[in-house]
Amino acid sequence: MKIKIKCFSQVKYALGTDELTLEFEMGKTTSQLEQLIREKADGKLDGVSLRIAVNQKYSPDEIELKDGDEVAFIPPVQGG
Amino acid sequence: MNTFAHKYMIITPKELQDRIDEFTVVDVRPETQRNEFPMDGLETIISKDGSTQTIEGKKVLVCQFGIVTEGMIIENDLDDTFSLLGGAQSWIEFQSENEDLSRWSRQTILPEIGMDGQKKLLNATVAVVGLGGLGCPASQSLVTAGIGQLVLIDGDIVELSNLHRQPLHGTNDIGKKKVKSAEESLNKINSATIIKIVDEYLDEQNGLEIIRNCDVVVDATDTIETRQFIDRFSKETNVPMVYGGLSRWEGQVAVLNMDKSPGYSELFPDAPSGGDTCADAGVLGMLPNIIGNIQALEAVKLIVGIEPNLVGKLLIYDGLNHSTNIIRIG
Repeated sequence: MKIKIKCFSQVKYALGTDELTLEFEMGKTTSQLEQLIREKADGKLDGVSLRIAVNQKYSPDEIELKDGDEVAFIPPVQGG
Repeated sequence: MNTFAHKYMIITPKELQDRIDEFTVVDVRPETQRNEFPMDGLETIISKDGSTQTIEGKKVLVCQFGIVTEGMIIENDLDDTFSLLGGAQSWIEFQSENEDLSRWSRQTILPEIGMDGQKKLLNATVAVVGLGGLGCPASQSLVTAGIGQLVLIDGDIVELSNLHRQPLHGTNDIGKKKVKSAEESLNKINSATIIKIVDEYLDEQNGLEIIRNCDVVVDATDTIETRQFIDRFSKETNVPMVYGGLSRWEGQVAVLNMDKSPGYSELFPDAPSGGDTCADAGVLGMLPNIIGNIQALEAVKLIVGIEPNLVGKLLIYDGLNHSTNIIRIG
């Protein structure tokens, strides 16, 4: 299945892109995807809290992803 | 024709009332509008195209909202002729409530605002926590829109490095308390706005008292900790919180704690690590200006009751590619 990933602020800076598409076998969950993103970030997201939104809706609990889902990783921002 | 001079040929309802004997008032509205919205307390001549050549002396033209008559004066190059600012709508409001709202006539013409919405803004109190990159544009736009009372909270002092992104503060304000500098700038826009200043940082001790009597609190701070305080007091007092935050070219806005809608602790529950401040990561002044203005816009929508709004939603704006994502958070 194909999952589109949207990256915001620190996630974007860590991965060098605001969007990427990844292909998986079925059964990938949001937590597993977060783990993958953190690994790709190679330490740059350590200690950074991430909120996950699936198809433009916050997903506080772990859910299983489907083909075509869009997953956003949103860190808090501090500046003001 | 000197169109520049015509720009000044406007008169407010209050001015007209004070100088009524100097003018002949000409109502250019169609009959249906004149019947539906009669102008009490005013003797008028009816003339649908505003032609007034046979009338001597100074004239005031009146249409429904004050726009058409400005055009008439310019197009026909009318001398000694004024347009009533805000038109019959403003006159009627002035007569019934003794309030001259013509200053906001360009926004009261919007059906979503109208006279009722404008009065809600004038009766509202908004707390702006932080008078930096977000707080300057937010408080400026709230004052220009006609918010009746602002409470400005910030313990910081104006520094040179602030000036590129905090437009209420200028070169001569360096060293001043930010709330004082902001108050002076905002007073120049409208001295009738009631401004209360608190030259301390908002914290556990003072936050409840500051927020409790407000209608909306605008989070224009630059620390997660202060946002958590605001969130706590916002929940305790049921005063909705308009959250704003920035990181380089990106900004976030959400309306939190509106009738028990999700708050900051639901938005970012993990006592998160801070992320960059504007000083750490850098920022171009337009970004906080845009985000601060979106916060002010949402505050106005809450007060007037305009939907859609960002209650239960997180807006993420990217100033590089101008993408806007709106995430439902509850």
